[in-house]
Amino acid sequence: MEKYITPFIVACEEVFAHFVGTKLTAERPYITQKDEEHEWVVSGIIGFSREARGAVVISMRKEPALKITEMLTGKKHSDIDEEVIDAIGEIVNIIAGNAKKGLEESFKLAISLPTIVRGLNHDITWPGDSARVIAVPFKIFEDESICLSIAMESLAGNSNV
Amino acid sequence: MKTILVVDDSQIMRNIVKNTFLLIKIPCSFIEADNGQDALKELEKNPVDLVLLDWNMPRLSGIDFLKQVRANSKYAKLPIIMVTSEAAKYNVIEALQSGATDYIIKPINEKKFTEKILKIDL
Repeated sequence: MEKYITPFIVACEEVFAHFVGTKLTAERPYITQKDEEHEWVVSGIIGFSREARGAVVISMRKEPALKITEMLTGKKHSDIDEEVIDAIGEIVNIIAGNAKKGLEESFKLAISLPTIVRGLNHDITWPGDSARVIAVPFKIFEDESICLSIAMESLAGNSNV
Repeated sequence: MKTILVVDDSQIMRNIVKNTFLLIKIPCSFIEADNGQDALKELEKNPVDLVLLDWNMPRLSGIDFLKQVRANSKYAKLPIIMVTSEAAKYNVIEALQSGATDYIIKPINEKKFTEKILKIDL
């Protein structure tokens, strides 16, 4: 499992360090149920296809989403608007693209355009019935957290992440 | 004054690319497009000295834009640099084999970006 999750964790930490300009501290990953209730208000989703099927999702509450966008654009936001959506979409895009590099010995992957969903306890439909969802929480900005969730199943041998 | 076509579906990324380019202090103006289809139209309308091109975009992806442009002999020498999150080696190879002049992986490293732009000799 670590072999497939680690590239996402590394990509996430590097993207926040070099693109956003802030440190993330990864906490212990755990398996989550696909329909589990959560506290997130906005999620950026990218799907994978080709030699594996799945998705990577970055989820957060409103305050870190606004602060991250402010760090990228230099402008304050009071609500999740188009620019905040753009920022989260681009962050998950860069995480997914960079994680592909760490996975290329295992899979050749195509990634989708990002989709943003929002609303308290919004639903995410995960591709593939059998893939487990691994959630990796990160500490950000001293007192906030974000969550990276990954589900992947190989289309070659039907082995899960 | 050089004209740079910046193609990325993210406005934030287009601004970052433009701001990073401005650090190189080459006098330039920018044309922007948020998808490959509109980028083709801009290219037909305007003489352009360099294209900075994302990969994953709606309507027409960057790689498909690249292939269409290189299929036109009029643009054989137009410098086109992919600026993309697609970091896997097979993506880099595909882009270079399709005619990309160079390849920059997001998040953009200012030093690498500058080196690659200066290599082009605009």
